[in-house]
Amino acid sequence: METHSSQVIFGWSAAALATVIFIAVYALVIAEKLNRAILALLGAGALILCGVLTQEAALRGVDFNTIGLLLGMMLIVNITGRSGVFQYIAIWSAKKVNAQPLGVLIMLSLVTATLSAFLDNVTTVLLIVPVTLLITEELKVEPYPFLISEVLSSNIGGTATLIGDPPNIMIGSAVGIPFNAFVNNLTPVIIVVEFATVLAFALVWKKSLVTTEEARRRVMEFNEAEAIKDHRLLKQSLSVIGVVIVSFILAHSLHLEPATIAMFGAAVLLFLDNYREDADHQTKKVHGAFAEAEWVTLIFFIGLFILVHGLESSGVIRWMAEKLMAATGGDFKITAIAILWSSAILSAFIDNIPFVATMIPMIKSMAPAFGGADALMPLWWALSLGACLGGNGTLIGASANLVVAGIADRAGHPIRFMRYMKSCFLMMIMSIIISHIYLYFRYL
Amino acid sequence: MNVSTIMNASPVTISVTETFGNALRLMEERRVHALPVVDAAGVYKGTFDFADIWKTLLPKAALLGMDSLTDLSFVSDAQEILREKLAGAGSRPVSEFLDRRVEPVHPDTPVKEAILLFYRLDEDIPVVERGTNRLAGIVTPWEILNALRD
Amino acid sequence: MIAAVVFIAVYALVISEKINRAILALLGAGLMILCGVLTQEAAIRGVDFNTIGLLLGMMVIVAITGKSGVFQYVAIWSAKKVNAQPVGVMIMLSLVTAVFSALLDNVTTVLLIVPVTLLITEELKVKPYPYLLAEILCSNIGGTATLIGDPPNIMIGSAVGIPFNDFVIHLTPVVLVILLATVAVFYFVWGKELVTTEEARRRVMSFEAREAIKDWRLLRQSLSVLAAVIAGFVLAHSMHLEPATIAMFGAALLLLLDNYHRPADEQTHNVHNAFSEAEWVTLIFFLGLFILVHGLESAGVIRWMAQQLLSATGGDFAVTAIAILWGSAILSAFIDNIPFVATMIPLIKSMAPTFGGEQALMPLWWALSLGACLGGNGTLIGASANLVVAGISERAGQPIRFLQFLKSSFLLMLMSIAISHVYIYFRYL
Repeated sequence: METHSSQVIFGWSAAALATVIFIAVYALVIAEKLNRAILALLGAGALILCGVLTQEAALRGVDFNTIGLLLGMMLIVNITGRSGVFQYIAIWSAKKVNAQPLGVLIMLSLVTATLSAFLDNVTTVLLIVPVTLLITEELKVEPYPFLISEVLSSNIGGTATLIGDPPNIMIGSAVGIPFNAFVNNLTPVIIVVEFATVLAFALVWKKSLVTTEEARRRVMEFNEAEAIKDHRLLKQSLSVIGVVIVSFILAHSLHLEPATIAMFGAAVLLFLDNYREDADHQTKKVHGAFAEAEWVTLIFFIGLFILVHGLESSGVIRWMAEKLMAATGGDFKITAIAILWSSAILSAFIDNIPFVATMIPMIKSMAPAFGGADALMPLWWALSLGACLGGNGTLIGASANLVVAGIADRAGHPIRFMRYMKSCFLMMIMSIIISHIYLYFRYL
Repeated sequence: MNVSTIMNASPVTISVTETFGNALRLMEERRVHALPVVDAAGVYKGTFDFADIWKTLLPKAALLGMDSLTDLSFVSDAQEILREKLAGAGSRPVSEFLDRRVEPVHPDTPVKEAILLFYRLDEDIPVVERGTNRLAGIVTPWEILNALRD
Repeated sequence: MIAAVVFIAVYALVISEKINRAILALLGAGLMILCGVLTQEAAIRGVDFNTIGLLLGMMVIVAITGKSGVFQYVAIWSAKKVNAQPVGVMIMLSLVTAVFSALLDNVTTVLLIVPVTLLITEELKVKPYPYLLAEILCSNIGGTATLIGDPPNIMIGSAVGIPFNDFVIHLTPVVLVILLATVAVFYFVWGKELVTTEEARRRVMSFEAREAIKDWRLLRQSLSVLAAVIAGFVLAHSMHLEPATIAMFGAALLLLLDNYHRPADEQTHNVHNAFSEAEWVTLIFFLGLFILVHGLESAGVIRWMAQQLLSATGGDFAVTAIAILWGSAILSAFIDNIPFVATMIPLIKSMAPTFGGEQALMPLWWALSLGACLGGNGTLIGASANLVVAGISERAGQPIRFLQFLKSSFLLMLMSIAISHVYIYFRYL
């Protein structure tokens, strides 16, 4: 990678310009006055206009593997969601526990965690929360513990796999960590964290969740079969998801990248869903599928990759890594634990995506100090656990939290920042302590 | 409680072979704002309502639903032209106007689903038998409110 | 071998129009990677993100600008300028369409102009057919004039690195001649038939053009950004900037101006909509296509095809240029010109050594652009704008038939290619 650090533009060094633009965008994103996709694009544009990067270099900085994987999974999940299968599972699981409020809380949390491990967290809560509100309204119980438990579980479940949460996708893609390595190294600790969290919820809320016999009977009368809107689509989309996940597991031995699998899976599903329709309908449906993808997130990613690449190619990242190394005295253990806790605390308050995007090249540049890229693996697990689980700390810590808060607000059950933080910050700290112990005994 | 327990089982309907003018007259006489259209076997074909009347009066370009023509605030008005258009449509068969903006429901559909449809669209809801698609009745807001107020 | 089979299969299925082309291109691109012709990394290197970024940026800018109502304003204003005389309206709307198409996407232009055209012709009680026909032809002709007017030009400009100004210098003159010739033909063929009443004309004259402007603030903002972006294109070469940077930065700036005073929720909603309204089917088709062509290229198929073409033309430059012009025109009349141009670009590039370097190839690029863009006028399925207009007018109860269209448009297309032939011959050969 070329280094422009000697270059001077308008009397500024490339490093200074890249840093100023990056910090300005970061500060404005945190201020949340302006949409983050606009800010990231403007920042990326400013880097090119100022001559820190050429357009070509900027494009080289974009990790299209991450973008393709995100886009492909968004398409697959959106199409699958139309079949009604997620509502089916939610209703089915509530009936499995005889619509007992506490049982429903536990079941819906576990369902959310499992779905989040394979789907985007925001999508998962968008699918589960409306059904949850429907069930809690019938049961006449407060929806608050249900929603909070689902928020936490979605962020916890998402940490378990390569495709569960954007930080994992970014780490996996940038470092080339295969799907199976995430499962082997993260899923065990995530299962422990999830059960501990659900258990804590059950103990705290056991007393206050009571309902009447009649309300329970009404929920038991729900007909989950009617929730399936399209049986054909259901079979198709579940088969495609099955094949995609199997391919992720085999990807490494097949020499395939995750983005190829996700995008090809999306194309196959679009094909199956469309080939019988006439041309006009197809165009409308294909356009609709792409239009529903979360463009704000995807464009933010693209801009952010360019911004971080600007920092990287002007030498700022290397300088930051040196500072961090100096602070931890070059000790591997201290570095790993510092990454775990600081990413958790920071991710509770700021968006974890730009944070992880900045940390990735920083950790990469530590390879020589710690004896090669392979030796760094515990640091990646620390970053993933810290950044993903840290999002549970506050209401603004992760996108899924904000999305649920938005829906709850519209449904007349607003979730307050402080009330959320009181119950969840401790839960988050507990999950990081479990991760700390796990990392310590397994890797350090 | 489902839709069959509250619906109006003998609504005012119009045959698919009738004309626009007769449909308009029937709506005026019976004070209804929508007419289910049925064929000789009683199979539901669509609904004729005010929207169909407005459609005949508007320029075609405004009916395309395109972002590039969202309003007619800049055009000129001429009452004569609108009168001519309304009179001109009188002899056209109602079969030309059948839109299905509300998908029909079935007699065993929950009333909550019917309420949701009213909330979204505010159109009378046709009820058809499963399989045969014969019109079984219609649900208007008053059927629901009357059932709930006794 | 696998590359050629996958490519031909996708091409054939795209032509058969049974399955959406974005799906096909993605499946084909995926197969190239799954079969090991390309790695994912090589595939991504094959994608011309400069083209994608330029298209996306312009789509976002135009979609936002369209909300201000400025295009309806211009259409109504131009109809009133000629006293709502049917023939005058036809000529004015054609010229307006051509000018917009030179600066905006053709499909967007007709989407903006056609509904107003239908409104005016209904008031005038004249057949909308000649108006729509003229607008289709003029949108494709106008689009040929600039780097950003039509996707083939964007692809050529981006792949070869031809600046905005060169397109204006080399293509705009001949496009102007073709535009005027086409409008003149329309005047002589349809002039007599288009008559209206005094009263209908008066009704159109009482249209309030200013009422069409929905949002004055947005109008000022979007026109300023559009002007800045076009100025950026003109100066791009000397500032060492690529078109995609300018278009995407312009789009981001316009989004900022349109949103900074709104609450966060509304911003997210607006930004999401601005991007989701972009033509994803086209963009994804481009993406897949670039990968497919890159597969062909890295398998050596393109070089082989170029050698065949050169041996057919005997390696003569003038014959090659004219063959490219006519060959692309006739093919583009029947098949989508985008995959054709995507294949031709590396093919022509690989001829550089034979003809003495990249500089010497310029006339071939102009021949490709003129042939591919103008050829789209030959049939109803020749270009996206044609199909879009046919779709709208069918919904408005005025279907355009394939053969009816072919009768007048194919001859006009041949005329435009003949003019281009003369132009290329005298200026470059």
